[in-house]
Amino acid sequence: MKNAIETHDLTKVYSNNFKAVNSLNLEIPDQTIFGMLGPNGAGKTTTIKMLTCLIQPTSGTATVGGYDVQKNPDEVRNLLGMVPQQVSLYKDLTVMENSQLCADYYGVPHDERDSRIEDLMELVDIKYAKDKVVGQLSGGQKQKASLVASLVHRPDILFLDEPTIGLDPTTKRTLWDLIRELNDSGHTIILCSHDMHEVDMLCDNVGIINTGNLVAYDTPQGLKDALLESNRQEMTEALTQISEENEVSTSTKEDFENLSLRKMSVLLKNQDEGIINQIRLINDVKSIEVARNGRINLRIDAFDDMAVQNVLDKISQSGGIIKSIYTEEPSLEDVFIKSTAEVNEDDRV
Amino acid sequence: MIEFKKFWWMIKKELISLKRHPARLVSIIAFPIIMILLFGYGMGGEMTDLPIVVVSQSHGDLTDLTLDTIKTTETYHVVEVMDSLDEGKQRVDNGEVKAAIILPSDYDKNTSNQKAVTLYLDSSDQMASQILESSTQGIFYRISNMVASQTSVSTKDADIEPSVIHSLDNFKDDIALHINRIYGNIKYIDFLVPAILGMTVMMSCMMGMGATIAGERETGELARLFMTPTSVATVIGGKIAAKLLIELLRALILIFMAVLLFNVSIKGGFLQTFIVLVIGALCFVGFGIMLSARTSTQEDYAQLSLPFSMPMMFVSGVFYPIETMPWILQKLAYVFPLTYLNDAMRGIMLKGQTLGDVWIDLVVLLGFTLLFFIVGVKRFNRDV
Repeated sequence: MKNAIETHDLTKVYSNNFKAVNSLNLEIPDQTIFGMLGPNGAGKTTTIKMLTCLIQPTSGTATVGGYDVQKNPDEVRNLLGMVPQQVSLYKDLTVMENSQLCADYYGVPHDERDSRIEDLMELVDIKYAKDKVVGQLSGGQKQKASLVASLVHRPDILFLDEPTIGLDPTTKRTLWDLIRELNDSGHTIILCSHDMHEVDMLCDNVGIINTGNLVAYDTPQGLKDALLESNRQEMTEALTQISEENEVSTSTKEDFENLSLRKMSVLLKNQDEGIINQIRLINDVKSIEVARNGRINLRIDAFDDMAVQNVLDKISQSGGIIKSIYTEEPSLEDVFIKSTAEVNEDDRV
Repeated sequence: MIEFKKFWWMIKKELISLKRHPARLVSIIAFPIIMILLFGYGMGGEMTDLPIVVVSQSHGDLTDLTLDTIKTTETYHVVEVMDSLDEGKQRVDNGEVKAAIILPSDYDKNTSNQKAVTLYLDSSDQMASQILESSTQGIFYRISNMVASQTSVSTKDADIEPSVIHSLDNFKDDIALHINRIYGNIKYIDFLVPAILGMTVMMSCMMGMGATIAGERETGELARLFMTPTSVATVIGGKIAAKLLIELLRALILIFMAVLLFNVSIKGGFLQTFIVLVIGALCFVGFGIMLSARTSTQEDYAQLSLPFSMPMMFVSGVFYPIETMPWILQKLAYVFPLTYLNDAMRGIMLKGQTLGDVWIDLVVLLGFTLLFFIVGVKRFNRDV
């Protein structure tokens, strides 16, 4: 699969000697959804600005759709669409007028312009508001209008910067569906978001940028698996430490527990003491408590793939009927926190 | 290369905005009217109806004549004519009136001694006191002339020495000062209005560019334009074209209001005045572009433009002739484009000069314009 975006040692040093992006090497495959994560000030915005030809890199190269951002900026701009976090349409113009303005600025043929816009409006379901002034639209409507204006020149690559921030859950899910549809129709999508769930749900690949560097890159599941593996290694180290030392500190014990155990919660329809006693007998179950609402909270072995299944089997064998079940999994948020925990600001100045 | 379709969109956008926000249209029309009223009436008008009292300690024809003259002079508003000297002074001391004109008890007597009329003046109000002083001097100069003339007539009637009559008449007739005002009777308001037009164009252009460039940079609208395959020159050119259109409308209103409200004569013709204002507007739009090239917010722009716009207002000869300023300010005045705009505007409006007569001012203004645009476009970055 060819890459929509490639950067090699891409670096940006601002005039105050602040190194915002530091030798970034990144490959974003064509027609995928790529999640760009990173804490505030990590270098995401600067990276996007370089890729969208708003600022020049200090060194290194970046290609978008095969075009060099420094040598062929206009070709790159024609390939890109951008939906910024802050809706940047003219508030006094209607949705239609804003889209027409963008189309003319991108050089869309005049005879195709309005029909393209109408098609896009139908796709994102904003046609009913096409003659409304943008300043009067709701947050979700504005984002949809922004999408139309960004897609009017049929870009191959679409940057979405926090597209669902501040939107209600229903509108958020509508936009997610739309993003998937756009991806299915061949667009490469670069999604910048602090909503880990959103990134987890939508993205094929995720890159985590911290202090101007790419510190993690994989599929969302790959990143979570890597975190589990990393935790397993840390636990092994902790075990070694425990076996070597006579006195183990409380914090080491807590670290060990946090790494080796995960939470599981079960709500039964017909809870009784017998079922709970049966669960206690399972080796993978390290602790058990029954909450006031009847929910059974367990801590089970984090690395035994069969631990959850064993608990469920035992409940079933004891005649318990499960109403709901919840198990704690490593999340993308855990990956993010771990990946961005170590910050070395000295490297950036 | 500049693309005119994109240019047109910026103009269209401004016009649509104005159409959808009538309040902004009112502001465009109201702003120049307020400016011209504020400066024209506030600073350029003549002071009239200054409250005074007259302390009259004498009675007779001359006193009556003097009181009539004072009462009919527009400068004064005679609050009261009184006998008490102390009370008159008290009214001035209390700030109730600006002055007391005190006519002495021997004012009406035929005496060879000089009659000492006193102007008891509240000199803390510098402007009013100057006006009152010169106006009162003028009145008593006229009255003393009238008295001298009557004396000569009465002495003629009384058949007294012809040589005395001759000498008095000769004194008045032999020295005659002829004032030849080559540009007519120019009042302060006439001097002020051309520069007020220039200054208003400067202020609105500079403020407007802040809102257009720095404001759109702040809201992200400029970013969207810069992400399209469009040159910086086209984006800025479009903004300038749109801004200039609004400013021309404003300039037209300004000229119209100046003529309507203050009966200002435009000796060099309306078209030439308009052309000079257009060149001025272009220059200050360029200045705004240059300043906003690197500013990211409207607030930054306001802070940056203030050190230029404020000195320009006071040093460029808007209110006082540059020649009356300290030498350092005179030197400073010539690095400000407003000085040249004012000079050209006064040349056209007051002196009836042609564009050819003020060509140096225009060349300097166009030079500034070119410089501002080159620096502005070069410094402008797409980073939003």
